[in-house]
Amino acid sequence: MAVAKGLSADDLKAISDRILQLSAADQCRVRIDSRWRGYTRVATNRITSAGGADSTSITITSVFGNRVASVETNRLAERDLLQAVRRSEDMARLAPENPEYMPELGPQNYQPIQAYYESTGELEPQTRAEAAAIAIRQAQAAGQIAASYMDVRAGSSSVATSNGLYGSHASTGVAYTFTSRSPDGLQSGWAGDEANDWNNIESQRVADDAVRKCRDWRKTALDPGSYTVILEPTAVGMLMLRMMNTFNQRTADEGRSYFSKAGGGNRIGEALFDDKVSIWSDPDHRDAETSPFSADGQRVRRQSWVSSGSLENLFRSRFWAKQKGVDALPRPSNLIMQGGTDSLQDMIASTGRGILITRFWYIRGLNPRIISYTGLTRDGTFLIEDGKIARPVTNFRFNQSLAQMLQNVEMLGPSVRVAASENSSVASPIVVPALKLRDFNLSSVSDAI
Amino acid sequence: MHLPRQFSRRGFMKLAAATATGSAIVNMSPQIAAQSLTSSERTLLLYAIDVAMDAGADYADGRVIRTQFEAIRTREQTITQVQSTDSFGINVRALVGGSWGFSASQILSRDAVAKMARDAVRIAAANNAVAPSATTLAPVDVYPDADWVTPHSIDPFDVPLEDKAALLLRTNAEAMRVNNIRFASSSILSVREERLVATSEGSLIKQTFYRINPSVNITAISADGSDFQTRSAVIEPAGRGYEYVMGLELSGNASRWAEEAAMKLEATPVEPGKWDLVLHPSNLWLTIHESIGHPTELDRALGYEANYAGTSFLYPPEDVLGKMRLGPEFMQFVGNRTEFGGCATTGWDDEGVAAEFWPIIEDGVFVDYQTTRDQAAWISPYTGITSSHGCAYGQNWESMPFQRMPNVSLLPGEENLSEDDVIGATERGIYIEGRGSYSIDQQRYNIQFAGQVFWEIRNGRKVRMLRDVAYVGRTPEFWNSLDVIGGDRTYYLGASFGDAKGQPMQVNAVSHGCPISLFRNIDILNTG
Repeated sequence: MAVAKGLSADDLKAISDRILQLSAADQCRVRIDSRWRGYTRVATNRITSAGGADSTSITITSVFGNRVASVETNRLAERDLLQAVRRSEDMARLAPENPEYMPELGPQNYQPIQAYYESTGELEPQTRAEAAAIAIRQAQAAGQIAASYMDVRAGSSSVATSNGLYGSHASTGVAYTFTSRSPDGLQSGWAGDEANDWNNIESQRVADDAVRKCRDWRKTALDPGSYTVILEPTAVGMLMLRMMNTFNQRTADEGRSYFSKAGGGNRIGEALFDDKVSIWSDPDHRDAETSPFSADGQRVRRQSWVSSGSLENLFRSRFWAKQKGVDALPRPSNLIMQGGTDSLQDMIASTGRGILITRFWYIRGLNPRIISYTGLTRDGTFLIEDGKIARPVTNFRFNQSLAQMLQNVEMLGPSVRVAASENSSVASPIVVPALKLRDFNLSSVSDAI
Repeated sequence: MHLPRQFSRRGFMKLAAATATGSAIVNMSPQIAAQSLTSSERTLLLYAIDVAMDAGADYADGRVIRTQFEAIRTREQTITQVQSTDSFGINVRALVGGSWGFSASQILSRDAVAKMARDAVRIAAANNAVAPSATTLAPVDVYPDADWVTPHSIDPFDVPLEDKAALLLRTNAEAMRVNNIRFASSSILSVREERLVATSEGSLIKQTFYRINPSVNITAISADGSDFQTRSAVIEPAGRGYEYVMGLELSGNASRWAEEAAMKLEATPVEPGKWDLVLHPSNLWLTIHESIGHPTELDRALGYEANYAGTSFLYPPEDVLGKMRLGPEFMQFVGNRTEFGGCATTGWDDEGVAAEFWPIIEDGVFVDYQTTRDQAAWISPYTGITSSHGCAYGQNWESMPFQRMPNVSLLPGEENLSEDDVIGATERGIYIEGRGSYSIDQQRYNIQFAGQVFWEIRNGRKVRMLRDVAYVGRTPEFWNSLDVIGGDRTYYLGASFGDAKGQPMQVNAVSHGCPISLFRNIDILNTG
């Protein structure tokens, strides 16, 4: 299809072919990333920045024997491209041999994936400003102060090799997040949404939720400890985003991962999590679509990682796959977790004492041996007693093993796409349910609002 | 160089002493640089400013920025990546009424640049129509033809790839000789950033920045395969040339770092509870970054980062400036854009404000924030300072400049204590070296920091290695527990290439200097 933003499929092909023609290396790979980004940011109830820019960058990888080097440039004139090709060749000749280098791939059959939505690609700055105005109006009507951000991406990418591989892909994405705070700085609420298709962004719902959370949340004291928690989908997504990189076979085989087997090898096939937990990636998942090829041109397809609590597979590079005599498996470009039928209300009603968490902040790894992370709750944390929300409570720091968390799942809501990136930019799509979990370690109190 | 009015004589003497520690105040005189920006880019930039002003801007500034990266990465005896990146473009920021508009282009034709400049003005006007606001730009001196280059001896881009690769592979090999070391990876990331800044007030400033980030990561695995430990963050990024890497003696030190990784396998798990802490600067700098650097960003304190990076406990300004005690009398923090080797060291900022240093915490009391030209007036009634502290920075040609962190450093103590003196003042404590896991809440109260190497101190001596240590606290109480600090001879600059802020998120490179420091009675967790 024709795309309104980024280079057209014809242009991507023509530039790729031209660079391959210019190449004098044994092998060559060309990656083009052509994107448009528009944004509108609100703080203190006004638009503080808004803008947009087109940006195209080309990465040329030249190979002589096992000597490999890449050059990335955003200068697209013929002489600049030639210069970049020659520079990558010069660097490759000088580079020491890479014994792990795998020859460039030949032609591949990629799954056609429709990830470009015109509703997003043709989104006007005025539409972004109208969404910002909804946030400002809603906050002002409630006597609150709005801070919001809308990040819009649209563009195309391609990969080509001197061995005849070629693929191109167009995509769009929108992330919209909104923090509403009280003028005295004592209350704060947040809501967000993310989609490939602008028509699926619920700006009014986001505004309503953020303002309501701000109205309802004001910290009151509660001791830290081990609690039953109900994580809203965004909170789950922010943790599951961290799981994506852990499904790595090489680090498991090398003995430096939770998925390492004592005595060598990995734990593929072992039941590691609650049997309600299933995790997969799928480049064709509706409104969470991603590219059907990886950066080196491998096919990306639907892939199960965890099925009914058992570790099904781990991703591995072409080099590592060859070492192990198995097929290569590219790393996930999105992450989908099987949902359930329990509503948030069902989870709250079933809870004698627990804590409802809106989202997290500043999540950092602690101990890779148990996939433990630390981080803090933010913008809406509530105590549940006797099946009802009893009162808002202070924010907490958590120190929690994600492996243990996935063993402690009690209830699951329907899966939804969430804005899982802490900086609220369009990120790898994450589709997850709300979860009710037992024994979640809230280790210390945070005074932050 | 500006000296803020309120800077006391005593504070200045301390700062002058500390800056001398870093060997020299940055040379502000013009230097010859290997610049690729030509007169045609200068002409285009001035044209862009003219177009913006003709289109109705009340003020405009712009930049031509070329950023070059070179990365070489290795693991064991394998080169895993050799990559060079070159990104080049132009931008304009325009002020209409009280609102900003920004636009950027990677196409440097006259037509594209004119369209970009008009777009910036159009966006500014549209934003001002949605919610008109007042903006006062702090006064600034005009520099019509200025140059500055990061002080350096060796341009990292002139050093052959083979030399860098050989150094890294030699470092990995030395590490791998140690028992139980199974993996070693290392890399060198070099950055050259050329920046031409022009303002409608008449400044035209050409600068070339060098930054370099060497890295080594070593993994030990126990003989039975049941445990693994890493030693990383052994060295720091710096705003310097390749001579900095040569001075680090990577391969000479690799076996020591590797032995530390191996010793961690046998180390004693820490007993949680209250301990005194001796923080080596290689650990303390990141705690400074998170708990002093970020909360003293003025835009954050006033709500401009509420939807991402958060706000600050240092709010409202009128209640905390000159009033909030954050540490003992001897605790002095400065914002410093002139510190030798600092990643945020510069000649001028992205608004053409000359680099300076100023007190942020003086005699333990919070006295000033980090500011840009449009922020200085927000707090001048409380600080008496009407000029900007020169903290405007945009990551690259695509990025609108906004307030970013300068080097924020803790000055060494006047008693000039050694590391042994500070350890000697500790009866029961933990010595922590290297940065580990780090996390802090969105108002910068709740801190939790780990490290790389932990030693138990008993009666003033390091006695055995500990593991799985993290310290937890609340920022004001944590800094008020500072009891002893080392002198000049323990002063050290740590740094990050990845300080994140803003939406769209931009990264900033920044350094923090500090001496070795002793904190009393801090909560310790076991993260094992």
